[in-house]
Amino acid sequence: MTKLFKALVASTLVALVASGCASGPQYKEVASSIPTLKETQGRIYFYRSNSMFGAALQPSINLNGAPVGKSQPGGFFYVDEPAGQYVVSTATETEKTVSFKLDAGETKYVKTSVGFGLLVGRIVPSLESADEAVKNLEDLHYVAAQTTAAVKKAD
Amino acid sequence: MIIRAVLTSAFAALMLSACAPSIPVQSTQLVPITATQQRFQVVGSVTVRLTSGYSREVRAGSLWQPVGTITQGTVLRPVSGVFTIEGRQIHEAYLVTKASTLVGFFLPGESHFSPLDPPQSITIERIND
Repeated sequence: MTKLFKALVASTLVALVASGCASGPQYKEVASSIPTLKETQGRIYFYRSNSMFGAALQPSINLNGAPVGKSQPGGFFYVDEPAGQYVVSTATETEKTVSFKLDAGETKYVKTSVGFGLLVGRIVPSLESADEAVKNLEDLHYVAAQTTAAVKKAD
Repeated sequence: MIIRAVLTSAFAALMLSACAPSIPVQSTQLVPITATQQRFQVVGSVTVRLTSGYSREVRAGSLWQPVGTITQGTVLRPVSGVFTIEGRQIHEAYLVTKASTLVGFFLPGESHFSPLDPPQSITIERIND
């Protein structure tokens, strides 16, 4: 019985790892090919650390209400947007948002991480400094953004 | 005993994150100042306790640049890094100071002012590069 239980746990874990984590090229492999910004735009990076805690939670990330990608453990992506005011949200148990201003030529970094929820976990976005974010990005894997058309102004 | 303490603090953290009140905001209009290289340094750390229950530290030595004024005071943006305040939601925030007092925060992502209650003393000095 114990053996069966261990096998079940192990196979569940393997399946979770196989399906849950980002698997694209690492940041250090694609960094040199990331295009320079257009004059009127800023860039927003979204990333999530490679932790198995809450790995099954992979909600959409919304920028001013429009989905731009998914929060995946160990993954990152970026979108280039016009300068303006933005709100990032994720679709989980409760909605926690982060609002910020993006200037032309500026790069902002939004980290998503797993937080405790009353019933299930939730994914919480936070604004990070460039120093901290670049350190974290090094080992993360690139996942394509869904769209870069989130130009709706924040309410 | 330790388990009980851990559970209690975890529960408190859960309640704070799940049920924190929104931070108070007021509409405001930022009057930008012309591009300046002027910078200010915070002399002593200031720990701010927000009405939402969260706290933030304005670190000693951190550099800030004036970007404009609002009715409540001068708006200072961090030179490097980001500063946020948190309630039910998280907001990028710039400091608003008036006569050596931190009176609140300007939220650039929303063009709102969030007052600090009570205002706190803050010492900043101009940096000459």
